[in-house]
Amino acid sequence: MQNRARITALSAAAACLALTLAACGSGGEENAGVEGETGTEEVTLSVGTFNEFGYEELFTEYEELNPNVTIEHKKAATSNEARDNLTTRLAAGSGLSDIEGIEMDWLPELLEYSDQFADLSDPAVEGRWLDWKSAAATTEDGQLIGYGTDAGPQAVCYRADLFEKAGLPSDRESVADMLDGSWQDYFDAGKKFVAASDGTAWFDSAGATYQGMINQVENAYEEEDGTVIATENPEVKDIYEQVLQASVTDGLSAHLTQWEDDWTASFQSDAFATKLCPGWMLGIIEGNAEGIDGWDIADVFPGGAGNWGGSYLTIPTQGANQAEAKKLAEWLTAPEQQIKAFESKGNFPSQVDALESETLLGQTNAFFNDAPTGEILVNRANAIDIRPFKGPKYFPINDAMQQALTRVDVDETDDPASSWEKFVTAVGAL
Amino acid sequence: MSSIPMIEQTAGKGAARAAQRGLGSRRRGAPGGTARRPGFLTYGFLAAVILGSVFPLWWSFLVGTHDSSVISKGVPLVPGGNFLANAASVLDTIPFWKALGNSVLVSTVTAFSVVLFSTLAGFAFAKLRFRGSKALLVFVIATMAVPTQLGVVPLFIVMAKLGWTGSLWAVIVPGVVTAFGVFWMTQYLRDALPDELIEAVRIDGASMIQAFWYVGLPAARPAAAMLALFTFVATWTNFFWPFIVLDPSNPTLPVALQLLQAAHFVDYSIVLAGAVLSTIPLLLLFAVAGRQLVSGIMQGAVKG
Amino acid sequence: MAVTDRVQPPPPDTNPRASRGKSVKRLAFSQKVSKWDVKLSPYLYISPFFLLFAITGLFPLLYTAWVSLHSWNLIGGQGDFTGLENYAFVLAQPFFWNAVGNTFSIFLLSSVPQVVLAIAIAAVLDANLRARTFWRMGVLVPFVVAPVAVGLIFNNLFADQAGLVNEILTGIGLDPVRWHSDSLASHAAIATMVNFRWTGYNALIFLAAMQAVPRDVYEAATIDGAGRLRQFFSVTVPMLRPTIIFVVITATIGGLQIFDEARVFDQAGLGGADRQWQTLTMYIWELGWGQRNFGRASAVAWLLFLIIVVIAMANFLITRRIATQGGRR
Repeated sequence: MQNRARITALSAAAACLALTLAACGSGGEENAGVEGETGTEEVTLSVGTFNEFGYEELFTEYEELNPNVTIEHKKAATSNEARDNLTTRLAAGSGLSDIEGIEMDWLPELLEYSDQFADLSDPAVEGRWLDWKSAAATTEDGQLIGYGTDAGPQAVCYRADLFEKAGLPSDRESVADMLDGSWQDYFDAGKKFVAASDGTAWFDSAGATYQGMINQVENAYEEEDGTVIATENPEVKDIYEQVLQASVTDGLSAHLTQWEDDWTASFQSDAFATKLCPGWMLGIIEGNAEGIDGWDIADVFPGGAGNWGGSYLTIPTQGANQAEAKKLAEWLTAPEQQIKAFESKGNFPSQVDALESETLLGQTNAFFNDAPTGEILVNRANAIDIRPFKGPKYFPINDAMQQALTRVDVDETDDPASSWEKFVTAVGAL
Repeated sequence: MSSIPMIEQTAGKGAARAAQRGLGSRRRGAPGGTARRPGFLTYGFLAAVILGSVFPLWWSFLVGTHDSSVISKGVPLVPGGNFLANAASVLDTIPFWKALGNSVLVSTVTAFSVVLFSTLAGFAFAKLRFRGSKALLVFVIATMAVPTQLGVVPLFIVMAKLGWTGSLWAVIVPGVVTAFGVFWMTQYLRDALPDELIEAVRIDGASMIQAFWYVGLPAARPAAAMLALFTFVATWTNFFWPFIVLDPSNPTLPVALQLLQAAHFVDYSIVLAGAVLSTIPLLLLFAVAGRQLVSGIMQGAVKG
Repeated sequence: MAVTDRVQPPPPDTNPRASRGKSVKRLAFSQKVSKWDVKLSPYLYISPFFLLFAITGLFPLLYTAWVSLHSWNLIGGQGDFTGLENYAFVLAQPFFWNAVGNTFSIFLLSSVPQVVLAIAIAAVLDANLRARTFWRMGVLVPFVVAPVAVGLIFNNLFADQAGLVNEILTGIGLDPVRWHSDSLASHAAIATMVNFRWTGYNALIFLAAMQAVPRDVYEAATIDGAGRLRQFFSVTVPMLRPTIIFVVITATIGGLQIFDEARVFDQAGLGGADRQWQTLTMYIWELGWGQRNFGRASAVAWLLFLIIVVIAMANFLITRRIATQGGRR
């Protein structure tokens, strides 16, 4: 009578649903939060990451050190897919990995629901990270929802050969001297370059340049209490106008959109001479510009310093093994391990002690004319002193702003004024 | 074939002729229209269609035979020699064989069950009279109009309650029978299965299920074969839901393949080598089952 | 499942007269059984679909309806009951109407050529070809190409500066087309992607139906002196009526829910800087997954559902009329 059994099972399932999903099926286990026993019971920990955390070998190492732990790695290709996955499972209230990797830019909206994440603050990790790194993942009442993994301190990558052709200084130190100062200084140097070169632009995209500028503003789009000020904030409008003036009126932009096919192909055709670049961008430039000589990197960033990207490990309170998960997350984000991740995939560490490591400081990059990339990025990371506040609506507001810039810089469907009006409308619709 | 004389007895010669015609006096694979061999123009048109169809697959293969720089530099029109190396790194990077096994299992089970249940329902909607049939069919079609993106969250809740998240059940069960399949089979059987045939076997004393088995299924064969193929392929390439609901230890092919893109700089020659590898089983299926699937088998609606 | 599914029934009685020997009582009973068989079987046969729908379809549908009546954050969950406020809000949004316009534009550009071309290809494939299997399987190849490859290829073809299509256009002295900023051009490019994937598929659906058209109908038409085209319009098209209805309705439903092709048309996946190609499903995605506003997203989903039902009904009526005309059934 297999049939009957199956019908019973199906009707039970249907009844379950009819009871508006009362607690039938598998109930959640009791969990002791992050304070439980560790190291005794057999446990399988799932870790969700995306893109490239550089943890594969570290997982193996951890399993050897902790025989009771088996690690399952759930990897998503892009941060967008990871975000869809995280959101769906948060919304459904189950199914998240024991440890979920998150991107820095998701923090604002996740901090709103900090009760979904375990509090990871612990005397053992006090002072482990660069100040701005740990502060970004801390709620107002002191809950730490994520352990920082890597960071994206930015420098300026440039084409030394094109600089030379245009009669500009082209060695690292002179370029750093020339570009040191405000954004306007950076744009002025660009005007000189564009005037003296034939058809090559100064930077790739208005949107990417804007991102570097806005990340130096403390409260760009929102007040600490969540009030949206994006459309009234004079700082935002000034930066918007300044970057479009430079891009369109002064013709410094190559009018590309980052990541699009045209952008990828442009690395092969001398389309632009400089690019703001965090550590993880170096490999992308190298890949896209294969066969092109002349890339170099200068220890400088307009307007002081800035960070772009970087991730955290969080522990959802849905999980049944929070204590073991916390132990693993703490181990993974310790300076020694992050140095290994840096060696394997070039992820720049966000831990204070890691910045003093010989391995890191001794790193050079053959593609960038053997530049001491480790040392340069350490200097760039130490120079960061601003903590831009990003509130719960940061993501959609910034998308709307990027679209506004693209309309003027790439599509040429709007002038700066009309595009700004559309931006105001879009923010109003949130 | 016992029904024809039977029909002749009960309903006269005309009906018998009609039934005879319904049995498809069409030979296996016989052409429609006239039997003339088509001309040069026809082949030219077809060749253009096929070229357009095959080009992207060929392009994927081309990229897969080169190295990482090929996307930014432009794709050459001759294959390089890097395919085996790329394929090897695909097999090293992802649990290819496990994913392949899962994909075969999921696609096969789904294709079989969709065909069986859709044909059953299609047979009922097209050929049987019952109260509310029109309204129910409209309802079936209406279910296709529900936008899928939003169903993800509630569907995930259902799967979590059933305790199926991470298991292949969560991918198989929602696709066991589709509105698309039911609707298609209904529309196909409307014309392809003459009513006289069913009446004939009913008069012979066959039960409903026998009528379905001996008349309905054979008449549905060409469409059923096509539906099986479509369902198999669609299940094979389905990414979003499996990606959301499955765990890394137990992926289907598309879920495993996306791991190839997880890097700061994506090496598309490896990604597309993986895409080509995952397509090979489907092309083999075409080669093996193609003849069966497309030769328009109408060897009489009843195996007699 | 019906128990009878498992049982291999005996082949139907080959000699109808044999049953006369059965007793009257037995006959009465079997008549009763047979009556129930006729009454209940249809419901039994359609029940698997409805059972499954109850579990995996109905709940999401009702859940979404429930969500649309609340202020509801995707992560935070249920908020206050707001009645029809979400509907009123999105209906007042120019972005909503922009998405409606884009959806219809892309839908028309993809569905109409697709159905016409699919019938034409099917008619050619139904002819007496050499290497028939090769041709028929060939048109289905686009359906098996991995989506990641399709996205890459078409982005490569339609890139504004470095794309192959524009290189060819400038090569023959024409202006390049602005695929990612001109609204209609972007719709055409996306429609090309859709048509590439689905035309061969629909052609095979038509072919299956054409194969079921009895040959002697054509022979009769030939004897009547009908030419090839005349045969096609007077015999083939009317005979294909149910299948044409099927393809038109599924193309309508699929076309109005277009998502994947439009989403991969650029890297941001938001439908263009000026929302040039943002479709309704992408708008749902932006509201729900971008802004986390599950309530508004659900409201748009329900509005889309209603739009699809109305358009599908209209198409059904139009198709039925067109397919009936000129047919001597």
